[in-house]
Amino acid sequence: MEATNKEFIPKHYSILSDILFYVRFLGREEPVVLVFSVMQILLGALAPLLGIWLPKLTLDMVEQGVTLTRVVTVLGGFVLLMMVFSGLSGAVHGGKYMLYNIQRDNMMGILFLKSLRIKYEDAEAGENKKIYGKACYSLRAGESRALNGMVSNSVDLFVNVLSFALYSTVIGTLSWWILGVLIVLSLMDYALYMSLIRRQEAFRDEDALGWKHLFCVRGSMMNPGGAKDVKIFGMKHWLLKRLNVALKELEVVQEKYRRNGMFHFSIVRLLSTFRDLGAYAWLLYQAVQGELSAGDFVLYFGAITGFSEFVTGIMWSVANLRGAANDTDYIRAYLELPEEDRIGGTRHIEELVKPLSIEFRDVSFAYKYWENDGAEGVDGNQDGKSVFRHFNLCIHPGEKVALVGVNGAGKTTLVKLLCGLYDPDEGQILINGIDRNEFPREELYKLFSVIFQETMILPFTVGENISLARWERVDEQKTWSCLEKAGLGEIFREKGIGVRSYLTRQMMDKRVELSGGQNQKLMLARALYKDAPVLVLDEPTAALDPIAESQVYDSYRKHTEGKTALFISHRLASTRFSDRIVLLEDGRILEMGSHEELMGADGPYARMFAVQSSYYAEGQEDSEKTG
Amino acid sequence: METELLRKLPLKQHVKNIKKILKLVYKLDSKYFKVTVLVQMMSAVQPYLALILSAYVLDGLSEGKDFSQLMTVVSISLITILLIHYLRYAMNEWMNARWQNTLRMYGCITQIRILDLDFSRIDSPEMKEIQDRIRSDNQWGPGLNGIYWHLNNLVLQCFRLVGAIILAAPVAGYMVEGGHYEILAVFGVLVIIIAVGQHIVALCRKKVHYHQFSTIREEEKEERYCFSWEFANNEAFAYQYGKDIRIYHSYDLLKRWTTEVFGHSAFRRRILDMSKGWAGEFGFSGMLSSAASGGAYLMVALVALGGTVTVGSVLQLAGALSGLFSALYEIVNAVSGLAQTARQQMSTLEFLELEDEMYKGKLPMEKRSDGQYQVEFRNVSFKYPGTENWALKDFSLKLTVGEKLAIVGMNGSGKTTMIKLLCRLYDPQEGEILLNGVDIRKFKQDEYCRLFSVVFQDYTLFPFPLGENVAVSEEYEMGKVEQCLEDADFGERLRNLEKGVNTYLYKDYDDNGVEISGGEAQKIAIARAVYKDAPFILLDEPTAALDPLAEYEIYTNFDRIAGEKTAIYISHRLSSCRFCEKIAVFHEGRLLQLGSHEELVADKSGKYYEMWAAQAQYYREKGIEGLALD
Repeated sequence: MEATNKEFIPKHYSILSDILFYVRFLGREEPVVLVFSVMQILLGALAPLLGIWLPKLTLDMVEQGVTLTRVVTVLGGFVLLMMVFSGLSGAVHGGKYMLYNIQRDNMMGILFLKSLRIKYEDAEAGENKKIYGKACYSLRAGESRALNGMVSNSVDLFVNVLSFALYSTVIGTLSWWILGVLIVLSLMDYALYMSLIRRQEAFRDEDALGWKHLFCVRGSMMNPGGAKDVKIFGMKHWLLKRLNVALKELEVVQEKYRRNGMFHFSIVRLLSTFRDLGAYAWLLYQAVQGELSAGDFVLYFGAITGFSEFVTGIMWSVANLRGAANDTDYIRAYLELPEEDRIGGTRHIEELVKPLSIEFRDVSFAYKYWENDGAEGVDGNQDGKSVFRHFNLCIHPGEKVALVGVNGAGKTTLVKLLCGLYDPDEGQILINGIDRNEFPREELYKLFSVIFQETMILPFTVGENISLARWERVDEQKTWSCLEKAGLGEIFREKGIGVRSYLTRQMMDKRVELSGGQNQKLMLARALYKDAPVLVLDEPTAALDPIAESQVYDSYRKHTEGKTALFISHRLASTRFSDRIVLLEDGRILEMGSHEELMGADGPYARMFAVQSSYYAEGQEDSEKTG
Repeated sequence: METELLRKLPLKQHVKNIKKILKLVYKLDSKYFKVTVLVQMMSAVQPYLALILSAYVLDGLSEGKDFSQLMTVVSISLITILLIHYLRYAMNEWMNARWQNTLRMYGCITQIRILDLDFSRIDSPEMKEIQDRIRSDNQWGPGLNGIYWHLNNLVLQCFRLVGAIILAAPVAGYMVEGGHYEILAVFGVLVIIIAVGQHIVALCRKKVHYHQFSTIREEEKEERYCFSWEFANNEAFAYQYGKDIRIYHSYDLLKRWTTEVFGHSAFRRRILDMSKGWAGEFGFSGMLSSAASGGAYLMVALVALGGTVTVGSVLQLAGALSGLFSALYEIVNAVSGLAQTARQQMSTLEFLELEDEMYKGKLPMEKRSDGQYQVEFRNVSFKYPGTENWALKDFSLKLTVGEKLAIVGMNGSGKTTMIKLLCRLYDPQEGEILLNGVDIRKFKQDEYCRLFSVVFQDYTLFPFPLGENVAVSEEYEMGKVEQCLEDADFGERLRNLEKGVNTYLYKDYDDNGVEISGGEAQKIAIARAVYKDAPFILLDEPTAALDPLAEYEIYTNFDRIAGEKTAIYISHRLSSCRFCEKIAVFHEGRLLQLGSHEELVADKSGKYYEMWAAQAQYYREKGIEGLALD
């Protein structure tokens, strides 16, 4: 899977295969939907037939001059039957809607969980990310897409096919060649509709683009963060102009749709008028000959004029099904991706003696998927070239290593390689001398506590956030002790925050909101709770004020006792309590050694340190002079 | 638990709501109503014409009229119907296009309103409250489109009713004058069935509405919120936090709150209950329509038993009667639908009627080419709407013209708040801010805003062309824009862009747009501030993700561009602001210290020294050993 600009097209499944996919899915998740759908198909096909039979029945009785009781019992019974049919048909239709509609969310949940089980590198970027995006978008997009579109349109399709067969039988009893003529007329209708649909499809992209533009402008106008800039820079007129452009664009597309459809619908209507005329002529001719009763006349006329509706119905549902099936291909493609737990052997991490040593041996790595989207989380170095080439680094048991270097030097990539989120293209990563691929990936993850740059706070309780396990498995006491160790105990007690308190504001009205520094400490508590033999911190102090930053450094020092540790920072200050400093540039080790060694070497590290410390050094001298 | 939408409203209020929303629709498109009446009239007439035609044909047959005579009438009628259809179709298309425009306009109406609102209003809790209300009111139902459906349907059904009454009149005569009370009884039964049925439909609908519009109970919130929004519906979550989730094995926890919620939960019980409601609504509606058409035939069959009615009349009367019944319940549906749609739009209308709260001064801003604007904060206190604590308290500060001031302080010390007050995004509750001795509230707000070029901490660029972003206008001087980008150190990247300043930023609007990194975005934001060329320049703590050297470069570069202008720089990295003559130290909403770096660092008990020492300790050759090994 090389990085290309070509659009990825997932494996194509037939419509039938996609229908079966949903039948299986719904059979597992919500079987009632299937039962209701079958009922709706049967009832939906029979109900209109009853509708055209009613006038015939009435007229026949009137002509035969039957008794009052007979009229009441027969017609009354028939009406009751109709009521039962249409009542049931309506009930299953209304009753099933929410049940399958909500399955969209379930499906999205399944896709979401899947995204957490495939290889991280594949989930994070590239084609799979696009497939996931498309699958979710289509599930959200509306009634005619993906799951909803498949369910509603399959039902429609079967109803129409069945009705078509029933009406054909009715008309066939009158005359087979009339049926033939009708089918020919329907085929003409079909050809007309297909050409319309094809032409409409050409506008569909334009339409989607127009809506995208409109939503984009609207979003810009109501972006709460942007409101300040809008005010200060007086952007009102600019944004309104932009809005008008987008509105106009949609108006133009719609006008095209309209013109395109106008011709078509006029022709279709003309055809149907001819058909009605023909039907009248034929039936009148038969009736004048005395071969047709008034009741039959009405019945057949109803059947002939209703016939084309089903043909149209079949066509629209097939057209819609095609779109929805296309969406489904993306969903299925994503669900079929191999999962991460297939990586790695069967050894157990328990056999490893702590503290651990880690070795990068001749590691080469390049991003498979290059997206020019400045994705955060992906390191700066993402231009598709290799980030590391024959990279070697050995971290000794219990060693504290500081990784420094400017933005884009490959620091975060190195961390992801280290803990198994990325796999090297070449070379090995060894833990205590054992190739890490000999451990199952999930086991391997147990070795690392990592604090990444972005803090992940889930809208759950403090306890769930620290342990990242479901509530029943949270060790409350351990959680508290980790909070204490991370320096949050006091402030939490003060504010009355407990292990059961909810974090983030979305969840509860009575919620807890933490400052940036407190969030960092929470992350530390999480890492401590996990108590993994290797601790990694990736630039956790960037957004903090000086005091909070200093506190984070302090607690980090305290809690790395007996562990192997890796610390990343722009700020060289952090290197002072590390055993060894690795200066990284463009995926290469530029310099390596203790602070004193590197300062003595007077190389790039010493220069960087000098630049950064100059301010404080000056200040120090000043303060010493004055103080 | 009960929200506004579930409360029982007096009839008068419903009428008021409907009037209000119709007035707005009328304002958006005044021609719409006239045309819709014509279109619906034609729609109502068409089927009745077809009905009369078939009745005529059946009677003609029994009277023994000949084939060609009947076919002439049939042909003329069908062609007439076709022509009416074409006319109606053309008008309907025209009308529908207008309506779609109206709908799209309406979809943007709150956003347009936001552009004019005071920022303090936009950012307030009331605003959030009303926006939440709009969202939840529109979560279900067709929105303004409901007005279109129900209004059209109401007009249509009224015409149908009139037509049906005219066509079915003979039945009434037969029932009453002929003394056929058994038919009257059937009629009565049918009316009762329809009335009761409608009532049941309304009850079912109410049940559905209850679940749609009642607020979510606390205990349901977690499950509902989690699976539907935070995770499953938010793909970005998976990329952003996929690494944490893997490393910390939180798959199980997330499974608990996504797919597991589906099987057994309060939410699921609601869905089942709602489904029952809908099953009832659709089921009884279906039964009613069958009862209406079936009952009509039954009645007419009874009439025909008397022997005085022709076959054609049977068809015509039955058609008319079933039209009568269905028009009756459809009118009820349309009216209740109209009321429901209208009330769901009331929160949106309320939003449109929001009033500004800031004092709107009238004083024109004196244009000074020399930039001699002097600002003074005098005993200013301010708290954000809806919060308890003072963000700024009794704050006084005088900015001299041409001064470079650095503001430092811990997170939450009021640095950004001061900038916001200065730009008059908010008005302080106490004290005043003076410009050349005049309270800034007295100036015209938009003119006052022109004094400031700001790069906010959370600045926003828009997904439109680069040049437009810098100039904040669709028309601009290309040369000036390029110069500003050059000044902001974006020149090299600009030259690499194929379409230059016409390149779209991001891919939200244009797929060929470029994604820009945080650092680049910042440069563009700076170029925007430079392009504005305002006498005051304010730079609020650029993204912290930059390394210290890059940040320092941005600050000094910016300072160079600022030239002789009055400038304020905010950062929590003390080193970034070292070129400023004067440093203000904020703490808990107060101005704690003010002076040069040398003066401030000398005060060893001061906050500045404390912060400085916290950062400096790691760089000091001596201090570290004591810390390194605890």
